[in-house]
Amino acid sequence: MSSASALRLGRAWPLLYWAPTGMVLLHYFYTPQVITGRSMQPTLNPDSSQLWRDVGLFDRFSIHTRHSFNRGDIVSLRSPVDPRRMLVKRIVGLEGDFVLPRGPYPEDAVRVPEGHAWVEGDEGFHSDDSTRFGPVPLALVDSKLVMLLWPWSRTGLLDQPNFTKDGTPMRREDMAALERERNRQMRVTRASKTYNPS
Amino acid sequence: VVNVACALHLFGEYVGRISLMEGPSMLPTFNAHGDIVLENRLAIRLNPDNISRGDLVTLRSPIDPNRIICKRVLGLPGDIICVDPTGEKAPSTEHVVIPQGHIWISGDNAAMSRDSRDYGPVSMSLVQAKVVARVRQMFVLLS
Repeated sequence: MSSASALRLGRAWPLLYWAPTGMVLLHYFYTPQVITGRSMQPTLNPDSSQLWRDVGLFDRFSIHTRHSFNRGDIVSLRSPVDPRRMLVKRIVGLEGDFVLPRGPYPEDAVRVPEGHAWVEGDEGFHSDDSTRFGPVPLALVDSKLVMLLWPWSRTGLLDQPNFTKDGTPMRREDMAALERERNRQMRVTRASKTYNPS
Repeated sequence: VVNVACALHLFGEYVGRISLMEGPSMLPTFNAHGDIVLENRLAIRLNPDNISRGDLVTLRSPIDPNRIICKRVLGLPGDIICVDPTGEKAPSTEHVVIPQGHIWISGDNAAMSRDSRDYGPVSMSLVQAKVVARVRQMFVLLS
């Protein structure tokens, strides 16, 4: 290789050289992703005019390596009906739980089978979630939302409701969030510890 | 060195890799222990609908997220499939319409296979790779 072409490649070479390491780090640790759509309002993308989209930091380590799934986590998963689509939803029920689905669903109560989870979007009417296709295999879950990166006004960990000293929520948004949380938990009966999937 | 390891890993994830087979559910196509096969991941990554009936695929198990299984595709979305003609795991007249985005998988060794007869159609999003070739067992003469 002549010295002229070596110089031209020289500036881009470190980037190309370390690209595989970078990709593996993104794949196994944290990755920022853009969240689109209205199905997680008002937690994510609260602006209905869709002028901007939230960008969140997603944690792949806890899913691929530690395999920790908790009820209430917001996760991104591959859609079971369309392999090209990623959905961002909240895990509402894990295996063994009895879930009362909201909205149009053929059954009144669903027992989540072994290795599956019940996921729902926070916004009931615009959400493509387990209410449409039932429990999803946990193997489809790809990453967990850790914090928001954009917009600046809401950057940071997702807001937990603030409480005053005597236990009542401080703001109207907190009360609404608490109400939604309670509605979700009311519809799920957790599996007992002696649940044996087989 | 780290970089080379990462590059190899990414190649294995996205393009293709060699894997070890284990388990009796695909006899006589694969031996119960020790078979090595070549997987093609690129075909699935580029076009997830690239699966046809009769393909051997590796996929993540729908009942255990940490487990990878290898089975044969019998039905595509929209097909009507008889769940178990032998009548062992379901009445032999039971038929199922495979929903959109799902496939019906089956092990070649039906007697010792946990497959779609047990857990129904599985989502195509779980499929990771197509199995294209078997590397012949290298040490069969020495055993």
